[in-house]
Amino acid sequence: MPRILCIEDDETTAREIISEFTALGFEVEWAADGREGLVKAVSEPYAAITLDRMLPSVDGLTIVSVVRQAGIDTPILMVSALSDVDERVKGLRAGGDDYLTKPFQTEELSARLEVLLRRQRRAAARETVLAAGDLEIDLITRDVRRGGRELKLLPTEFKLLELLLRNSGQVLTRSMIFESVWGYRFDPGTNLIDVHMGRLRRKVDPPGAEPLIHTVRGSGYALRAVR
Amino acid sequence: MRSAPSDRAASLRLWRTTPFRLTAIYGVVFAAGIGALLGLIYLSAAGYLTRQMDEIVLGEARAMSAGRAETLPGRIVEAEAVDRRKVNYYGLFSADGVWITGNVRDMPPKLPADGRPRELVGRRFQPGARGLATQLPWGEVLVVGYDAKVLSELRHIIVESLLVSGGVILVLGLGLGAAMSLGPLQRLRDVQRASEPILDGDLSARLPVSPRGDEIDILAHISNTRLAEVERLLGEVQNVGNNVAHDLRTPLNRLRALLYRAGQGIDEGDPRRAMLEQALKEADALLSRFRAIQRIAEIDRRGRRAGFAEVDLAALLQDVAELYEPLAEDAGQTLTVALRPAPRIQADGALLFEALSNLVANAIKFTPTGGRVWLRLATMPGGPRIEVVDSGPGVPEAERDAVLQRFYRMGRDERVEGSGLGLSMVAAVIRLHEFRLSLDDAHPGLRVAIDAWPQTRSAHAAPESGPAAARARPWILGLFAAPDAVS
Repeated sequence: MPRILCIEDDETTAREIISEFTALGFEVEWAADGREGLVKAVSEPYAAITLDRMLPSVDGLTIVSVVRQAGIDTPILMVSALSDVDERVKGLRAGGDDYLTKPFQTEELSARLEVLLRRQRRAAARETVLAAGDLEIDLITRDVRRGGRELKLLPTEFKLLELLLRNSGQVLTRSMIFESVWGYRFDPGTNLIDVHMGRLRRKVDPPGAEPLIHTVRGSGYALRAVR
Repeated sequence: MRSAPSDRAASLRLWRTTPFRLTAIYGVVFAAGIGALLGLIYLSAAGYLTRQMDEIVLGEARAMSAGRAETLPGRIVEAEAVDRRKVNYYGLFSADGVWITGNVRDMPPKLPADGRPRELVGRRFQPGARGLATQLPWGEVLVVGYDAKVLSELRHIIVESLLVSGGVILVLGLGLGAAMSLGPLQRLRDVQRASEPILDGDLSARLPVSPRGDEIDILAHISNTRLAEVERLLGEVQNVGNNVAHDLRTPLNRLRALLYRAGQGIDEGDPRRAMLEQALKEADALLSRFRAIQRIAEIDRRGRRAGFAEVDLAALLQDVAELYEPLAEDAGQTLTVALRPAPRIQADGALLFEALSNLVANAIKFTPTGGRVWLRLATMPGGPRIEVVDSGPGVPEAERDAVLQRFYRMGRDERVEGSGLGLSMVAAVIRLHEFRLSLDDAHPGLRVAIDAWPQTRSAHAAPESGPAAARARPWILGLFAAPDAVS
């Protein structure tokens, strides 16, 4: 069973993280203290680490840098009450893979962590063609085909589809989609992403075809191909 | 609307200061007192001199008439000869008024020959000259007069001293008043300068207090005490606001998680699932509202130039338009972009994007189906201007200020959702950049313009007659004003 290390001094948050990941089938180890967390992070193998930015004894940024300097590339999801852009940039620069602001929605947390895990597994392969079911996109020629039929996509739609395909089978929350495709981190309103997704959907999933893009109620979207 | 600095400065003129007014009043009263004193002296002196002259004239007339009639002309000539000051008048007339001798050649008017001294009127006499006419026992009429040379001199002296002393008092008084006002005036200017940031929303600024402890210091001290209290309260309120937003988010998130899990366990099509999904939507709306409150606080807290870099507005606007074009299309509207080449500006691109997104989202939200939304970039003499224009119902002029400053919902469609903090967020971004935000009538619809160049204090505080302008103001004030408008 893959193990996740949760370095978090706030017990309530820690419990939330633990219960969420346990439900998803992970084994979660909890370190309530920076020093303890750092020791665990560098001495034992984990599938992923969630790391609080502000911790007693050793602070989160230090832990990330030390872990990275030790050559460990375990995905690290930083969780922090500090929501400033600067703080986020600092966290990512130090070596964090993603940054989530407290308080967070548990689906957001798991969706992000799963994407990190997936990215980790895939890092080696540099694909130029992404496919799911009978949908295929060429990242170089930017051709999109479904069942042999060519689809004309606008640049934004292409980016959106690429994101979905890269993380196919996984739930992407609206804020993750907005961040990855448009590169901004704010709340553009649920409707906006839905409208863009609706447009893409009309092109990718024409009536009669097996739908590939699925709405995950309450959290976001996922691209799933039925095999 | 707060008064512009020019107004504030205009009220601070030298002649309006208390010391100046007091000195001026003292000067006038003092000058009037001196005038009264000199006038009294003159009147008393004149009365005394008149009585003296009357005595002289009476004595002279008695002496002349006491002698013999035939020697009289000779005595008159003699008396005139010894009168070196030329103050004595004599005139001898026959009973039928023909001049016989003396330096008075014509019978002075209004002088009955009754032997009583009267004022002499006539061109050759100085004002105040006294004289009498008397009928001599032998029928001739003798006129004896005494000129008012002394009196004239006295009057002259008094008028002169009045003029000189009055002038000196006036000049000294004005000078002293000005000198005495300069100190307080300078201090008032200091106070004024110190209060500008306070008026602009910086409640941590304080008025200067000198060790003198005079009335200005007392007032400044009172103001400072109040300011400290306001700052403390506002800080408290702001903290409460932020903490409430933060603290409520955590349990709200848990509530949302529970709703979500509960919903997952229920079959699609079950009415309970629909209810749970509705509850989830409400929870999301609440969460987004709290996020927005925290976001605005964050922007307001942020260091001035933290995320500033060169920004290509045309590209930014193009991106915003691309992001919102499908939404407009979905709402049956046309989103048009009109871009003029504009110079790059120093700005926080991400925040500007967020602010513009809010504006465009608002425009789309409030414009009915079939309407139009424009996103424009124009070049003004000061720099680039961004405009978001819609063909919606617009905002009545009276409410434009309120919409910007207090997030007020207006009589707009109640079904339209929104956290009500969108414009407040825009205002916070504009404040951070020192740009200017104004709302305007687009005939029909609303025109929101952002003058994307740093506004100098006087320019951005200039009195607004037409468009409502955003002003620097702690965001928290807006939260407690009125129900929300737009998200």
